[in-house]
Amino acid sequence: MAGMYTEPSSDFLRRRSAFRGVFRAGFALCVLLLVWSSAVPANPVTTENVTARLVAERIEVAPGETLDLALVFEIRPGWHTYWRNPGDSGDPPRIEWTLPDGVEAGPLRWPRPELIPVGPLTNYGYSERAVHLIALSVPADWPIGEPVRIRADVDWLVCEEHCIPESGRFDLTLATAAGAGEAVGPAPIDPAQAEVFAAARAELPRGRIEGAVLGAAGTGLGLVIPADGLPQEIDGVWFFAGEWGLIEHAAQQSWRLVDGQLRIDLSPGALADQAAPDGLLVVADMRGEVRSYEIAAVRGSLPGTIPPDRPIGLPLAFVFALLGGLILNLMPCVFPILAMKALSLIHSLSGQGPEAARERVLHGLAYTAGVLLFFAGLAALLLALRAGGAAVGWGFQLQYPPFVAFMAYVFFVIGLSLSGAITIGARLMSLGGTGTGSGTAGAFGTGALAALVAAPCTAPFMGAALGYAVTLSWPLALAIMLTLGFGLALPFLVLSLVPRLARLLPKPGAWMETLKQALAFPMFAAAAWLVWVLSVQTGSGGVALVLGGLVLSAFGLWLRERTRSLPSARRRLGVAATSAALIGALYLGVTTDRLTAPVPSPGDESGSGLASEPYSPERLAAARAERRPVFVNMTAAWCITCLVNERVALSASDVARTFSDAGVLYLKGDWTNRDPAITAYLAEHGRNGVPLYVFYPPDGDPQVLPQILTEDLVRRAIRTSTQGSPGRDG
Amino acid sequence: MKQAFSKTLVFGAVALAATLSVGVAVAAPKVGAPAPDFSVVDTAGETWSLGGLAGKTIILEWTNHDCPYVVKHYASGNMQAVQKEATDAGYVWLSVISSASGKQGHVSPAKADDLTDDRGAAPTAVLLDTSGAMGRAYDAKTTPHMYIIDPAGTLVYMGGIDDKPTTDQADIAAASNYVRLAMADLAAGNPIATPVTRPYGCSVKY
Repeated sequence: MAGMYTEPSSDFLRRRSAFRGVFRAGFALCVLLLVWSSAVPANPVTTENVTARLVAERIEVAPGETLDLALVFEIRPGWHTYWRNPGDSGDPPRIEWTLPDGVEAGPLRWPRPELIPVGPLTNYGYSERAVHLIALSVPADWPIGEPVRIRADVDWLVCEEHCIPESGRFDLTLATAAGAGEAVGPAPIDPAQAEVFAAARAELPRGRIEGAVLGAAGTGLGLVIPADGLPQEIDGVWFFAGEWGLIEHAAQQSWRLVDGQLRIDLSPGALADQAAPDGLLVVADMRGEVRSYEIAAVRGSLPGTIPPDRPIGLPLAFVFALLGGLILNLMPCVFPILAMKALSLIHSLSGQGPEAARERVLHGLAYTAGVLLFFAGLAALLLALRAGGAAVGWGFQLQYPPFVAFMAYVFFVIGLSLSGAITIGARLMSLGGTGTGSGTAGAFGTGALAALVAAPCTAPFMGAALGYAVTLSWPLALAIMLTLGFGLALPFLVLSLVPRLARLLPKPGAWMETLKQALAFPMFAAAAWLVWVLSVQTGSGGVALVLGGLVLSAFGLWLRERTRSLPSARRRLGVAATSAALIGALYLGVTTDRLTAPVPSPGDESGSGLASEPYSPERLAAARAERRPVFVNMTAAWCITCLVNERVALSASDVARTFSDAGVLYLKGDWTNRDPAITAYLAEHGRNGVPLYVFYPPDGDPQVLPQILTEDLVRRAIRTSTQGSPGRDG
Repeated sequence: MKQAFSKTLVFGAVALAATLSVGVAVAAPKVGAPAPDFSVVDTAGETWSLGGLAGKTIILEWTNHDCPYVVKHYASGNMQAVQKEATDAGYVWLSVISSASGKQGHVSPAKADDLTDDRGAAPTAVLLDTSGAMGRAYDAKTTPHMYIIDPAGTLVYMGGIDDKPTTDQADIAAASNYVRLAMADLAAGNPIATPVTRPYGCSVKY
């Protein structure tokens, strides 16, 4: 294995002044070169990348005493050795002792490691210098004056980007002195080594923190550690897993302080449920001092994650799902579709007799089937994604810009057809007409369409029901989603099953065409809104692409319209041109995926009178630590409920005054694009979608506010909980 | 007409699924779940994909001939022996090189073939994943890093070649070779006893 033992390189020569005992080292190297074997002891051992030595803290040792040894690696700049868990690759040093009878060496102790990124991977290890302390005990019956000769064979791996395994044999001889009576004390410290040992001890853990709990939190892991033993003003923390497989070493970790406990969110590793739940917690305080603590956690359920889940039980979840589905009918993007269905129903009422009645029932059922099938598909996709470990929640589809672009096209095209510019809509309108087979297929399609356009309108009840649903086994989760779909389909189903109800609808007439055309505008509005969402997600580049796509699709559909009644050859040409235009539009939509979100400028708060800061677990923890009240608003550009709440309840000047009077910190989390930290926060509160409003009073438990906010509600929450709070006095 | 409208909907659903599948690819592979797809050329320029290997049991071995951990298993003849056992038993063995151009372990197709000949290796093919796309899809972290995929395309093993994370050839004799154990479990029709282990070695040079 070439490269394992290397000749003294120019690098070594350059650095010779840096090391003590250089002549001894040089001599050792010459011997090493001649013999080419690790069996030759040397101390220090110098390789191309490391100078290693084994030293004792004291000049001599007395029988019955324990003294510390240090295995010191001076590492070439840019290269690393590794911690006990080396992370994604690498290997920790190993030591094998040859000791006289009765003399015992303890395990290698590990100073605090650092994170070492290597491409997409992360290792735990050391740069520049790593000092491992080892306790050595000499038996009480050791003859005084007889030196203790010890030998250590050490293997270590040192890596820059590529890795070189190295090893060395270290001999150390310790003089023995007269017994260390209480009066005499231990042997004097070797002044040459004092600095090395003092520095090494400063890097060791400050002890072990008991009572930590590791448990599931959403799709990830949460580690909760009692904070009483930790520094007061925490600036940053990192958890180093004690063994491979517990966590994803390269994943971001977010933390916060809640009720005297430090909470860290972790990404589970490949053996998350089997690896020992312990490791090392590294904490930096505001003064820049860094300390570490051993953590041995027990597995359990995390405080704070279960209670918000409890209030909504299984029966209630079904009720909420049904209600949520019903409310979806009133959403601006769904209502026109439902209205169109109702119009077609009115048409069909003109047909009398059992034949017409049967057809109406058939349409109602087909429409319901369309809705349910689409919801089942969406639910299956959501559950599959979660099973695959993706951090997604309800509304997840809108976090992908191409889907938003596609929805903008859908609304735009429906708008065009309603306004009469193209004739797809006319067929949609005639779905209730004669021709049973295709009419039923059409009703089915309309149902699926209603479900598709409902997706952006996450209704208030849906978040809780779906948040609950994803924690259940998949058949139950599917059942809840289908209940939601059933709620959406229910009004039309009832109308078609109970003709007496349908007869309460106004009589058909010319007003129907007017209404139909008017309904085009909510559709155009929805398309305009989605283009705005896209501008938040992708910047102006995405808007340009989608506007281009809209023009292309309008042109394509117009072509189709003009060539419709031409002879078949030319009509086919028209269809081909239309298809090309539509495919071009879709391609433009898909390319929005390559664009990245513009960096929001701080304090960019369009529309809201309240000054907010972007949410981060660290900011929340810091504010909580200084007992400042915090209002957390989890929102997304594509969430209508969120925008309405912000407009109605959070932008009034009264509310702004209440916030500033009470010194409330307003933290806003933007879930427009995927953000695991926000997904984790939502999961913690038993939610799977936005909006989520949480108010943290200076003292006491956080309060989750309803998903439909009013000005009064917000003001009351803040006033009642901050009044008389000792934190606000003076 | 209405048909055309339903077609639009079907197309929309497909577009939606395609969009979301981008998100799925990001998630780390899991034992018991479908293995990530790949499409990579071998040293002869032939393209290999998971779909094209349906019905076969596949072993993936991430490798880098200059990595000391890989050297341990090739200089000792250990890796070649396992390769022969596997291919004799009808497995498809793909050695994958994910080293980026200019990084350690990156080789030309000819050099990769020479390495196979010189070392007496017996993989079915050596894949040159210079872009690292396949390595990232599998979340391959080390060389060696081993994966086994059953005939249904399900990932059944991922982890180390054995349980002795050293560069010392002398450790091979006493090590439990996880790939060999998994092959025995598969041959006996049993579930794999240790389906996930710590992969050890050098980092993959993406």
